[in-house]
Amino acid sequence: MATGGLNLSSEFFQLLKAIGESKSKQEEDRIIAKEVARLKQKMESPPSNQTGPQAAFTNPKKLAKEFLVRLLYVSMLGHDNSWGLIRAVEMAASSSLFHKRTGYLVCGACLPPDHEFRFMLVNQMQRDLSSPNVLECSGGVLACTSIITSDMVPAVAGEVTKLLSHDSATIRKKAILCLQRFYQLAPEVVTQEEMKKHVEKALCDKDPAVMGSTLNVIESLSLENKALFKHIVPSLVAILKQIGDRRLPAEYDYHRLPAPWMQMKLIRILGILGQADIVASQGMYEILNEAMKKADSGINAGYAVVYECVKTIVSIYPNAALLDAAAEAISRFIQSRSNNLKYLGVTGLAMIVESHPKYAAQHQLAVMDCLEDPDETLQVKTLDLLYRMTNPVNVEFISEKLVHFLSQTPDLFLKQVLTDRVCKIAERYAPNNAWYCKTITQLLRVSGDLVQQEVAQNLMSLLAEGTGDDDEESDMLLRQTAVEMMVKQLFSEHAGALPKILLETMAWCLGEYGYLSAETSLDMLLEQLCELAETRSLPITTRKCLVTAVMKLVAQAGTCPPAAAAVIDEYTRSKDMDLQARCLEFQTILTHCPQLLPEIFPVDASAEDVQVDPNLSFLDGYVQQCLHQGAQPYDASIYDDDDDDDDGYGYGGASQPEPSFKMTPYEKPQTPAQAMMAMAGAGQLRSAAQSISLPPGSGGGSMISQPKADTTPQLSLNTRNVANVWGKGGLSQAPQPASTQTPTTTHIPTPAPAPSWGASKTSVSTPKAPELPQKTAEQLERERQAAALFGGIVPGAAPVPSAMSLPVPAPVPATPAAPPPPAPSAPEVDLLDLSIWDTPAPAPGPVVDSFDVAPASLAIVETVSDTEDEPVSVPAPAPIPAATMDDPFASMMGGLQDEPLESFPAASSKFEYNGVPMAPLQITTAQFGQQWGNCAATTPTSVQTTMNLTALLAKLEEVGAHPVEAIAASNEGIAAGMIGGAQLVLIHGRVTGSSVEMTIKSTDTGIATSLALFLSSAMR
Amino acid sequence: MISFILMVNKQGQTRFSSYYEWISIDERSALESEIIRKCLSRSELQCSFLEYRGYKVIYRRYASLFFIVGTKPDPFAGEGAENNENELGMLEFIHAVVECLDKWAGSICELDIMYQLEEVHFVVDEMVQNGYIVETNKVNILRPIALMERESQKSDAMFR
Repeated sequence: MATGGLNLSSEFFQLLKAIGESKSKQEEDRIIAKEVARLKQKMESPPSNQTGPQAAFTNPKKLAKEFLVRLLYVSMLGHDNSWGLIRAVEMAASSSLFHKRTGYLVCGACLPPDHEFRFMLVNQMQRDLSSPNVLECSGGVLACTSIITSDMVPAVAGEVTKLLSHDSATIRKKAILCLQRFYQLAPEVVTQEEMKKHVEKALCDKDPAVMGSTLNVIESLSLENKALFKHIVPSLVAILKQIGDRRLPAEYDYHRLPAPWMQMKLIRILGILGQADIVASQGMYEILNEAMKKADSGINAGYAVVYECVKTIVSIYPNAALLDAAAEAISRFIQSRSNNLKYLGVTGLAMIVESHPKYAAQHQLAVMDCLEDPDETLQVKTLDLLYRMTNPVNVEFISEKLVHFLSQTPDLFLKQVLTDRVCKIAERYAPNNAWYCKTITQLLRVSGDLVQQEVAQNLMSLLAEGTGDDDEESDMLLRQTAVEMMVKQLFSEHAGALPKILLETMAWCLGEYGYLSAETSLDMLLEQLCELAETRSLPITTRKCLVTAVMKLVAQAGTCPPAAAAVIDEYTRSKDMDLQARCLEFQTILTHCPQLLPEIFPVDASAEDVQVDPNLSFLDGYVQQCLHQGAQPYDASIYDDDDDDDDGYGYGGASQPEPSFKMTPYEKPQTPAQAMMAMAGAGQLRSAAQSISLPPGSGGGSMISQPKADTTPQLSLNTRNVANVWGKGGLSQAPQPASTQTPTTTHIPTPAPAPSWGASKTSVSTPKAPELPQKTAEQLERERQAAALFGGIVPGAAPVPSAMSLPVPAPVPATPAAPPPPAPSAPEVDLLDLSIWDTPAPAPGPVVDSFDVAPASLAIVETVSDTEDEPVSVPAPAPIPAATMDDPFASMMGGLQDEPLESFPAASSKFEYNGVPMAPLQITTAQFGQQWGNCAATTPTSVQTTMNLTALLAKLEEVGAHPVEAIAASNEGIAAGMIGGAQLVLIHGRVTGSSVEMTIKSTDTGIATSLALFLSSAMR
Repeated sequence: MISFILMVNKQGQTRFSSYYEWISIDERSALESEIIRKCLSRSELQCSFLEYRGYKVIYRRYASLFFIVGTKPDPFAGEGAENNENELGMLEFIHAVVECLDKWAGSICELDIMYQLEEVHFVVDEMVQNGYIVETNKVNILRPIALMERESQKSDAMFR
């Protein structure tokens, strides 16, 4: 067999040899360039197409065919071969089958769809379709499939339709797919009705090959219209059953599995037809179960069939037994050692969790492994899974993972998809506003302009409007948090290279609320913003925003530093008219009436409604004065002509004249965010009327005279809908139960006078002490969730907002004498635990009563402990001094404690857990790596400290861990410890200079969480 | 459905390409080199699937040659539909192609494919039509090829 090709000319042989031996793309290109020149020369002389022997050793026809194959090589290796394609068209008419097929092949591969040569082939194809020679006919059908374009369909559709009843099964199976192609190209010529008719007939063909190829058509048509083939479900089921019973000839077997691809197709079609159709689905349950069992033969093709069954089971009307079987298959895939099967497992899990989240719970470790797998495909699939199982409880963990992946992948396509997903879950599930701000800021930084404008817009309106529940204090806190984050961005090393959208958001945020920064003075902010505003590489719109921010800050500061004056002066000569106008206005106001500035740029008023006085009554005094001095009174008729652009001033309520020709130029179109940012600055300067779209023509109104009106900046907040996301009754309320439940934690020793963002994670220092416990609870919760990614998915655990206030189930026993972890909020845990775990331990009544814990949280805690499958809180009677218990509770608990209370030292040197100190664990880096995956609980934490690597390791040693290795190159260190001889603790830290990023892993969730807290308080 | 089938060696040189949707020659080169670069960067232990510009790519390596199949959602599935291709099924299909080529040419190698490029196309054309798997029965696939060869030998003999 396969001897046809071995008769090569020496020239072709040399070409192939050269290509085969070439070592680089460049070399290959040179070879092909030479080949093109040679071929052009040879093929220009018309090939002697006559048959018959011409020379003793060369057959010109054979040579001509070889030229075509060489043409195919030229295009395959990326070079143009259009100059020679006419020879391929000629060759299609050859009487030799091989030559004809080669001609068609080259045409199909190289002719662009709109190429005129395609038309030249129609005649030849028509001839071949009606040829009595089966091979010619088959070649014709294949050529039709690849060469016909929509215009040509009518010319051949009839012939191909006839072939559906050809004697040869080879022709019939190709003809039905060819017709499908025609239907794709020209549904008006080959209609859906016709296709349906043909398909029904072809499905019952006596040759299984025809049936097999028809399945493709059925799938495609059902995707388009599910109703089309509902009635054939029983036939499909019967076919699948026959295949399963090995009724097909053994030739169809693949590795002893009967026709796996036909099975997959059938199952897939069932999945499409059974969607949301209980009757159709019921007819499939049995066969799906059977097919899945039979296919499970331990080979890949079998797994592929099983996987197809899983997909179908998930998509059709649910059946509990089948779902369990599917979940079982998924869990076998996911636990497999083969990454291919793991991939199927993760994908299958992603499909099933959306509607049946309970199946996810058992796979949390495997999913974590997949997420950390170096295999990018697997990672992406796992992220997809995480995205689908996001709920209010795990959203923080999941978005963190997504953002982390985003910061690393160079794949723009993927980046866009993931960016949109982060936005979606952040808006839908944000546990609190501070988190939302932080996440979106991070996202703006890593994804830049891939983030939709409106997302930045939403962020700004959130800051401006607050949560909408009139809690001014928390709004201010949020703003402060946002400002500190933005300040951090502003002072980062390459601030000029930050994404445009982040810079613009930052400019607005700092302009409005820069004064809230505790760390940075307005002067410093101004200086930095001025520098940034002069960065030539930034687009003018961004610089405009920065200049506006500078103006606002000047107004807030009350003085204009030289740098700001210089920037504004410079931009009075800007080419951008808008910017120039604004700078000139600002300069004028600054020099003539600086006392107006605070009124023009009112502080924190961006969300106020602008009161417009359409009658301009504030000018009455001035008008009176003028009249008094003998001026002519205003007569509207004088001005009421066509080219009057003052219509707006005549606006007197109901009788607004229809705007006639608008003579003033239209404003430059602005995207909403830009518009908003521009307005926020300009709204005060320009007539307020303009910014809230009063009648046309008022655009250029005198700026200087306007500010007397109540010109609070009108923020074009067109995103009020977002308020619902965080608003009343929304998730923003979530943290509050924490503070009500934990009155004891008000004395947390975290004064932190100068909060940066990092600090605010643990406790944003605010002037108001009562805020602290809430934050801490939140932070605890955060740590907690990182470890429990699967929170809220667990059966029974409804993702209610109250889950947010879930206490850390630190292992505090029911007896009040438990050793609290050195976390500031430990008492809270203690107390909650008392009431939550209805343990037989002699929990004193009064204490339980005093903490009215909702039954909802009881259920949650219990289920969490179920899934964790760890002794989260085993009642251990060991009496150990409770921590920071003073005020009301101290007295209440006093009687219950064996030992006097003492404050837990915030920075005690050794970490203890349940009173058991951590012991250094002498392991090697390799062992560390092995153990890393075995530790279920992961708690990432970030500490703001300038500590270097050596100091970090010293600290870890001091805490009780064994420093395993310090990797100076990447500023990373690892340490290991052991608690109670059974619980492993692994610490990984990365020093960035300004902070230490730590990941703490342990076999016990409680330990990981408490250690994270302990370390962050010890290191700060 | 299948958008393209490629055979590319580990130097990144294309040895076979068959497209079932039109992509210009320049784009094909770019696509092929990107995909092979991605394939080469992956270890044997990693899974045989990857995503590239909306294509779900399934590849399998035989000695120095990568067999690569790119798939897209069916055109009738509508905009933004998910690609429901069975990755593992396609991976096994690649193997079916290779088994079929093996049966046809003894044991297929890179050079065999180079020397008989057009015939490899004919074999693949029997298996995949319009981006759908039309046949996996080796007997049915190879019968027309064998007939064609016999006929061409007959006519060759006539010319001599």
